[in-house]
Amino acid sequence: MIDATIVRLTMRQLLGQKRTLLMLGFAMIPVLIALLYRLNGDHRANDPQEWTAQVALGRLVVGLTLPFTALVFGTAALGTEFEDGTAVYLLSKPIPRSTIVMSKLLVAWAATCVVTLIAAIPSGYIGLSGESGGGLVAAFAVAVIAGSLIYCAAFLWLSIATSRALIAGLLYVFIWEGVVVNLFRGVRILSVRQYTLGIAGQLANVSERIFNPRLEGPQALLLGAIVTAVAIFLAFRALKRWEIGEAS
Amino acid sequence: MQQAERSGNIYDLGYRGYDGLRLGRKHAIASLYFYTLRSAFGLGRRPGSKIIPMAIAIIALIPAAGQLAIAALVSDVEVYTPSNYFAYIEVPVALFCAAIAPEICGRDMRQRTLSLYFSRALHRRDYILAKLGAFATALTVLTLFPQAVLVIGNGLASKDLWGYVQDNWAELPRTIVSGLFIAAVVANVSLAIATQTSRRAYATIAVVAWFLVTFPIGGILVEVSHDTGRYALFLSPFEFIHGATLWIFNASPGADTSMDLAGFPQWVYPLVALAYGIVGFAFVVRRFDRISA
Amino acid sequence: MTEPGAPPAIECDHVSRWYGNIVAVNDISFSLRAGITGLLGPNGAGKSTMLHMLAGFLQPSAGAVRVLGQPAWGNPEMYRQVGLVPEREAVYPFLTGYEFVLDSARLHHLPDPEDATLRAIRMVELEDAMGRATGGYSKGMKQRIKIAAALVHEPTVLLLDEPFNGADPRQRLHLMSLLREMAAAGKTIVFSSHILEEVERLAEEVLVIVSGRLAASGDFREIRRLMTDRPHTFTVRASDNRRLAASLVADPSVYGVELQGSELQVRTSEFAAFTMAVAGVARRSGVTIFEMRPTDESLESVFSYLVKR
Repeated sequence: MIDATIVRLTMRQLLGQKRTLLMLGFAMIPVLIALLYRLNGDHRANDPQEWTAQVALGRLVVGLTLPFTALVFGTAALGTEFEDGTAVYLLSKPIPRSTIVMSKLLVAWAATCVVTLIAAIPSGYIGLSGESGGGLVAAFAVAVIAGSLIYCAAFLWLSIATSRALIAGLLYVFIWEGVVVNLFRGVRILSVRQYTLGIAGQLANVSERIFNPRLEGPQALLLGAIVTAVAIFLAFRALKRWEIGEAS
Repeated sequence: MQQAERSGNIYDLGYRGYDGLRLGRKHAIASLYFYTLRSAFGLGRRPGSKIIPMAIAIIALIPAAGQLAIAALVSDVEVYTPSNYFAYIEVPVALFCAAIAPEICGRDMRQRTLSLYFSRALHRRDYILAKLGAFATALTVLTLFPQAVLVIGNGLASKDLWGYVQDNWAELPRTIVSGLFIAAVVANVSLAIATQTSRRAYATIAVVAWFLVTFPIGGILVEVSHDTGRYALFLSPFEFIHGATLWIFNASPGADTSMDLAGFPQWVYPLVALAYGIVGFAFVVRRFDRISA
Repeated sequence: MTEPGAPPAIECDHVSRWYGNIVAVNDISFSLRAGITGLLGPNGAGKSTMLHMLAGFLQPSAGAVRVLGQPAWGNPEMYRQVGLVPEREAVYPFLTGYEFVLDSARLHHLPDPEDATLRAIRMVELEDAMGRATGGYSKGMKQRIKIAAALVHEPTVLLLDEPFNGADPRQRLHLMSLLREMAAAGKTIVFSSHILEEVERLAEEVLVIVSGRLAASGDFREIRRLMTDRPHTFTVRASDNRRLAASLVADPSVYGVELQGSELQVRTSEFAAFTMAVAGVARRSGVTIFEMRPTDESLESVFSYLVKR
């Protein structure tokens, strides 16, 4: 299912020096904001637990760092190969197309996890300001690992199915998850962000006042698993049917 | 042996010099302008290129349509007004920029067709003018079309059309100015960002980062630390552009919004927006002065 | 060469491919055995589409493409015996030439990838540059490293899309002799080109594609001969050119004779009739023919004729 050569090749492709530095800088944003929060004694209306769960981890890490990182790595893992015309070297080998998809997904997932965890763990601990968090940070760490997989699988499929995967993914993250889900509660069952928050809520041992996701944990996990499986299946199928563009 | 003689001949293959009317620079600029404007919406390109810009334009219309529906079905509630409309279309505007800005000059840069332009009547500055103008016009369609729909819809729905026109007459110039202003600022900056790289994916990500990554950061920093954090609003185009539109309409931000918390005088925002636009324009000009074509 | 009983290496059975309502390849059938075949046609004729269907990267809209007896579409196992050199000069810019070929060898799960890599790089004579990143390679070097990567698993069938683009004359000659050696070793090689000279010098067989249709196939001299309705020109050298010319004009198969220095240009409309008649005409007029050869047997003339038709 996984090919070591493709994994190694994809790692070198995705983790070019410049891109890695930019993504790590991007991961620092929630950490820096948490630092500012902590250095500033004036904690306003919300207490550290509430702020960490809802703002630092909920809004910044799960709402921004996670989808954006997954979008970058998920669409680039195969998307750059199509754009540059190097995909033919992978596709003209006696390797099942499913292995190509799984190997690419593995790398994109791992890269997204690293960046997102670098954002999540320090910003969580800093935001809690020394108070006990009821396992908040660990819960979010596990949740973003799951969320990274769901997002990456979906974006990887998009990058095979369309040449405008990046824009399509942005529309999904910022219009669908950012706006539509807030307006119509029913569509939360089709939001990876809500799955991630639901899983975090299930694992964390905090009161509803501090963190109250819109989806129940088991529901979120089940929906996330279904979406991942469907995305991977669609990616297999799309890569099997993928055709080279007209020579330009 | 026969001595080979050096010889050269020019054969008349029927090429002819063109001695008809030359339409000149103005026409060249106008052609490039209209071509770019059309292609921004995917017109004249394959069907796949139309989906994304058209979808975004439709999304930008939804708030206006929603307002009309509410007014018609429920009551006279005015949720979306010309002064706060930008807050409802900012995400589509950002995504439109992310999708289209890399295409405006990117295809010329990737396919190395710039030299073909610059070897014609067109100067480098003319090229920039045409491209920026077309992009800003496309954005104006996005900012003003929904408002036009709103005004016309409201007017037709009102019992007293003449009264409606009289009541809303004063808003019209402000609406147009705000729409043009938003389009101009956003066009300059996003084109400046997009032209720094010829890779479409990087350009898209960079434009999106400028709009959408800065937004939650700005809002959160204002809450977290008022004295230094409030300057973060100047990083977030959603904030300062919205602030600028409010200033144009002489309106104030609602209570407890980020802008309210920051407490800057309202006239600061148009200045910040203007500064962004000018810097953006300077970057575009610099980019094309240096590019080898 | 494969023995005549063996199945053809490549088989196209009434293959068509259309994009929307544009037909790129229109009902083409052929079969190829070992040796070098040139896929010839003007730009946009459908060469690339055809080659991509052979390579399994495009699904035929109708008909079937079989390579070594297996379907080409949706069959990655086929690549164990097929090598592909794509037209785009894209490589992974961060890999060295050696790493690029080595990765190909590994993706083929070869038992000794390092050894196979060195052998393939040696074949394209790129040992000196194999330690450098391919991003800095010249066009010709990229082309050669792509060929090395396609040869690393010693495929039975090799498909090359415009392989001579960007190669300098010396590299071109080297590549041609490499392909000839492989063909002599019983491999099936198909390459596309819009340059007649390349096809003429290298290909034993040509497939001429014009506007998506197979305009001609086979040995190009043979194709030329088959087109009897097209005027042929012969260059003749004889003991008395002027006298021979006078006699030839009288023959109904000849419609034009021209004296050119020490040679005679004879134009005929009937290839077969003329070659039968010429010896008799010469004998009757007491002229000895020293030399007679067709003037325009080049692929160029075949091609321009086919394109014009």
